[in-house]
Amino acid sequence: MNLDEYRTLFVVATLVLSLIAASPALSVVVPFRSGSEEFSELWLLGPTHMAEGYPFGVTIGEKEQIFVGVGNHMGRSAYYVVYLKLRNQTQAAPDSATSTPSSLAPLYEFRTFVADGDIWESPVAFSFVEASGFGDLFTVKKMSVNDVVFPVDSISVWDSENNGFFYQLFFELWIYDEASMSFRYHDRFVGIWLNVTVS
Amino acid sequence: MEVMSVSKLFSVLLIFSAFAASVIMSEASGAYGEDVVALAVEEAEAAVVSAYEAVLDAEQAGAKVSGLLARLNVAGEYLSDAHIQHRLGDFENATYFANLCDETAEEVRNEANELKNEAHGLRVTDLVVRMTGSIIGVVIIVFLSFLVWRAFRRRYHKRVLEMKPEVISGES
Repeated sequence: MNLDEYRTLFVVATLVLSLIAASPALSVVVPFRSGSEEFSELWLLGPTHMAEGYPFGVTIGEKEQIFVGVGNHMGRSAYYVVYLKLRNQTQAAPDSATSTPSSLAPLYEFRTFVADGDIWESPVAFSFVEASGFGDLFTVKKMSVNDVVFPVDSISVWDSENNGFFYQLFFELWIYDEASMSFRYHDRFVGIWLNVTVS
Repeated sequence: MEVMSVSKLFSVLLIFSAFAASVIMSEASGAYGEDVVALAVEEAEAAVVSAYEAVLDAEQAGAKVSGLLARLNVAGEYLSDAHIQHRLGDFENATYFANLCDETAEEVRNEANELKNEAHGLRVTDLVVRMTGSIIGVVIIVFLSFLVWRAFRRRYHKRVLEMKPEVISGES
């Protein structure tokens, strides 16, 4: 190695060491993006707090319990609303292809603020309080969610293929969007089908 | 005559009290009228959003906001209850929960603003420390490198000058 080559080596080493020494200040000036995808999770767990044993055959007055949860991976704290809705076989469900929520009015709602990387969970105790059946038609008149009774008036037609009157209890995830200053559907929903019988 | 005036006075008092009672009743029902309740819920919603934005600002400023989020969740529960009771037509409870939500959200917003200011002050101090440390570090590295380079160059020249040319005699 001649002297010029040694000089280049010294300059490069000095530059590298200088960059390391300047890194605390550079980290403030230069924004380092993590590059990870921003998303949220929505889940349902059964009565034993596991992904099993979900209620299916439900009789009027029988109390059931499930758990709904939200996970935040948005890179900041987020403000969510989880809407609980009930529909029969023909009513509109949320559409994942077009990212649109169900047009049905919510029965119950949960509002929660979740820190980035954190989760939120809540028990959901529900029962069908009042219903009537006549021939091929079944009407759920009242439903209780977390001890609040709601008028429902939802009619289900006998499903001869699956032998039952079916309703879907589902949850939609909405997120507060600071840019538009309103909630928008976050393209996540989970639900369970219930075969409701009078006794 | 006297009996007549007493009965007249009684009638006037009766009419007046009936009128007063109707006014009081209408005001009482108006206190939980649908428009009033809708406005209370709307205000509570705005208060929660405002508190949430203040918490986000504090978080961006580097403050720890887990405690604030926990309290914001309480405000969120009150707001959910207010919405649910409003939908069910229980205006009294809807107003009650909306007011509770409003108070809680206001407290959170004020604390978030204080935390944001504190975090901002700490961030400025941190920035000054980082900048000063980095500048001093770079100056020391450049200076030491220059000293090391000078010493190295001197030693290099000395070594080159001390080299004795070897004479290789060719024997034929």
